[in-house]
Amino acid sequence: MKVRIGGPERAPRADEAPYDQDAVAEVLARWRDTPGNLLPILHDIQARLGHIPPASVRQVAKALGRSRAEVHGVITFYHDFRQAPAGRHVLKVCQAESCQAMGSRALTAHLERALGCALGETTADGSVTLEPIYCLGLCAASPALMLDGALHARVTPAAADALLAAAREGA
Amino acid sequence: MWAEVRGLRDDVDFGTPPRSGAPVTLTIDGVEVTVPAGSSVMLAAAEARRAVPKLCATDMVEAFGSCRVCLVEIEGRRGFPASCTTLVEPGMVVRTESPRLQQLRSGVMELYLSDFPAGELPDGWSEFHETVRRIGVTTHGYGAGATHHDLPVDASNPYFLFDPAKCIVCSRCVRACEEVQGTFALTIDGRGFDSKVAASQDEPFFDSECVSCGACVQACPSHALVEKSLFDGGYVRAESPEA
Amino acid sequence: MSVTVFVPRDSFAMALGADRVAQAIAVEAAARGLAVRVVRNGSRGMAWLEPFVEVQTPAGRTGYGPVSVRDVESLFAAGFLQGGAHPLAHGAVDAMPWLARQERLTYARVGVTDPLSLDDYLAHDGFRGLRRALGMAPGAVVEEVVASGLRGRGGAAFPTGIKWRTVAGAEAPRKYIACNADEGDSGTYSDRMIMEGDPYVLIEGMAIAGYAVGATYGYIYTRSEYPLAIATLEEAIRRARAAGWLGADIQGSGVSFDLEVRMGAGAYICGEETAMLESLEGKRGQIRPKPPLPALKGLFGMPTVVNNVISLATVPIILDRGGAFYAEFGMGRSRGTLPIQLAGNLRTPGLVEKAFGVTLRELVEDWGGGTASGRPVRAVQVGGPLGAYFDASLLDLPLDYEAFAKEQGIVGHGGIVVFDDTVDMAEQARYAMEFCAIESCGKCTPCRIGSTRGRELIERIIRGEDVAASHAQLLALCDVMEHASLCALGGMAPLPVLSALRFFPGDFGLAGDREVAHVG
Repeated sequence: MKVRIGGPERAPRADEAPYDQDAVAEVLARWRDTPGNLLPILHDIQARLGHIPPASVRQVAKALGRSRAEVHGVITFYHDFRQAPAGRHVLKVCQAESCQAMGSRALTAHLERALGCALGETTADGSVTLEPIYCLGLCAASPALMLDGALHARVTPAAADALLAAAREGA
Repeated sequence: MWAEVRGLRDDVDFGTPPRSGAPVTLTIDGVEVTVPAGSSVMLAAAEARRAVPKLCATDMVEAFGSCRVCLVEIEGRRGFPASCTTLVEPGMVVRTESPRLQQLRSGVMELYLSDFPAGELPDGWSEFHETVRRIGVTTHGYGAGATHHDLPVDASNPYFLFDPAKCIVCSRCVRACEEVQGTFALTIDGRGFDSKVAASQDEPFFDSECVSCGACVQACPSHALVEKSLFDGGYVRAESPEA
Repeated sequence: MSVTVFVPRDSFAMALGADRVAQAIAVEAAARGLAVRVVRNGSRGMAWLEPFVEVQTPAGRTGYGPVSVRDVESLFAAGFLQGGAHPLAHGAVDAMPWLARQERLTYARVGVTDPLSLDDYLAHDGFRGLRRALGMAPGAVVEEVVASGLRGRGGAAFPTGIKWRTVAGAEAPRKYIACNADEGDSGTYSDRMIMEGDPYVLIEGMAIAGYAVGATYGYIYTRSEYPLAIATLEEAIRRARAAGWLGADIQGSGVSFDLEVRMGAGAYICGEETAMLESLEGKRGQIRPKPPLPALKGLFGMPTVVNNVISLATVPIILDRGGAFYAEFGMGRSRGTLPIQLAGNLRTPGLVEKAFGVTLRELVEDWGGGTASGRPVRAVQVGGPLGAYFDASLLDLPLDYEAFAKEQGIVGHGGIVVFDDTVDMAEQARYAMEFCAIESCGKCTPCRIGSTRGRELIERIIRGEDVAASHAQLLALCDVMEHASLCALGGMAPLPVLSALRFFPGDFGLAGDREVAHVG
């Protein structure tokens, strides 16, 4: 059987894919003396840069005395961490049971239609990334979603449209 | 045969590293055996010549507990503990074979086969193939589903190649790289069904932090990491029967 | 003389516009020249009434809800600051039957106090448990918790005191308290409500645990999906430290304990204690085999108490009132109270703290008020995504760990999700396997490959392909996952699948065509 030979792509270096190295250095300095600091560091880098640039992994690994492989393994394990920028707005729609019982499947289908992209994708104009989320702890007020970090409960399709319209108008 | 091909060890693989505690005596399939405290049940079973089937365990690295074919029954305990991660206790009574264990091990092997290129099964001679034969599973009932067969083969290293289709994600290579070599060049990328062995940031082995020591190739139980010298004229995956 | 108005800052209220309501009340009061002090409290747990606004009147607190910005003017017009009548009025809050019939021990202060006010906390019996504990020998504190019969509220129900004994008996240079606040089960929010509504009770519980077992540092590991809980906890920790309730010499006792909050990153598996410890150490959240027990070799290799939020938040009242007081509540081997979280398709869902023994029917019908859709209840899932689905025939089951185990179900973390008769239980079973596949850490084979195969098999059954063979293979797969998985995620994912098959075989088309209600 023919197999595809070639393997994955080479990881970019900072000089090939520039990112804000000073910002990463600040984050690393802030957490330098904290035991088990990799998750807080990755969260902070993502908060500052919008994502964790693959080219920054070398800098992080070096500062922590760990290998790039170890850092990469952690980044790819956790669904929060993204290696590429998201859309200008991130809409996370709960897909878990309580919200299912209150119409989240229909709400999700409505949003996919309205945005013209599926869960896990970004709209063609780059304005909204639509993502699944598994429970926001708002299960007595389902269905729930999170738009740019803000919580919304008992969301109807019309309410979701209004939220998105307001967000897109703002930026 | 595996040991000869590797040429690296001709002794028994006890599955977990040796320990040096005070002697503990236990019974395995009716055989009394004494091993140092801190040893695994798997090691004791090998010592008693009642070796338990295993895939993720090898005595060059610490126990991991992921493959779930080394399950045993222990008197007075619920369920089916993995013998690699269960430590011996004085007077413990262990059973390594039973119809129920055979059923569970077969079930686990079926899952492996559902994601293993069928064409690579008949003539293979890796530890994985030996284990498949020992447990006696030849096919699986899952039909066509998601697999890792389309992932590209990484042949960037001059000495060995990595075929992810034959990888059973036991992490022996990752652990050998860490525990034997201290290089930490390998990891698991992603999680769940998407988990796959990756060099550094999922890049070609040759570009990665890999130092070509070969510990991962030696550790691999399924020939996913395999020496190129075995394939004159280039690597070809065996034709799948249904293809 | 200003009037105190309470507008919750709990996520329920915030997700329903509480900030705008609080602001509108302040603006309207200013416009009318009325002196109003707005306090941002926790939630009473009556989620269907959120934002639930309370007014402090001479006769006690009066409630209005659900309040939206457009109701504010009419509330002022109706004289709500004096408890005036209004269509949204619910009268004296303490007399509302939904609350009055509960037994609030762990949640005694939640919704009542300003969560960040140390004065409020102290005025409502706060830190009494810690003060008493510090006057006792550490071993006696452990025994008080053993005597209470408290079992781990995260889901595994292991006796908390026994776990503490193991850690207390371990010799080590350092020990840790790791609070598991990775509340990922759908249908649950009790941990979040404590963290947002009464953070000091959790801090106090952890300090008591630290003193009892000889640990000087703690971590609260919670979810990135809980931003308000994280912000509240961090502020509470800062204030507690400044006031000498955390740090090197707690209230001059010579006892030292401090803690920090850690945020997960989107991984349900990190609610499993060993995966949580890996994550706290900065690693992939993969399961560690046991042994060694975390109690002996846990965080950074040191003896570690891993307890759920509710377990730790219940410790202060046990130390304050005594283990015997707490053990008087409950039934059988399930002692004390459980915060039950009503969710899904219910008219009046929310948090009910009640002694063990309350039946599902009381919870679903009396507290929950039946379905929000008005249609019949068809299925109830208790204990999160790994919990069994029951049909209405089991509604008289009492909430009790052993009674649920007898019906192949779990109480878990106490979440109850209700579905009406439009639910397609084959789709729910498919989702159970899909969720396991999405959240599997990927370490062990039964879960890593099995969850994806399970989803594929159920999809085949739903499409009506090879139904009998797929069904047989699914049962074999569930057997392997249940008995051969490394942890409870793979081990329990079959539970919702098998229970759906048991109670709702028609939905799978196992004896003829699939029977699914299609209601628009």
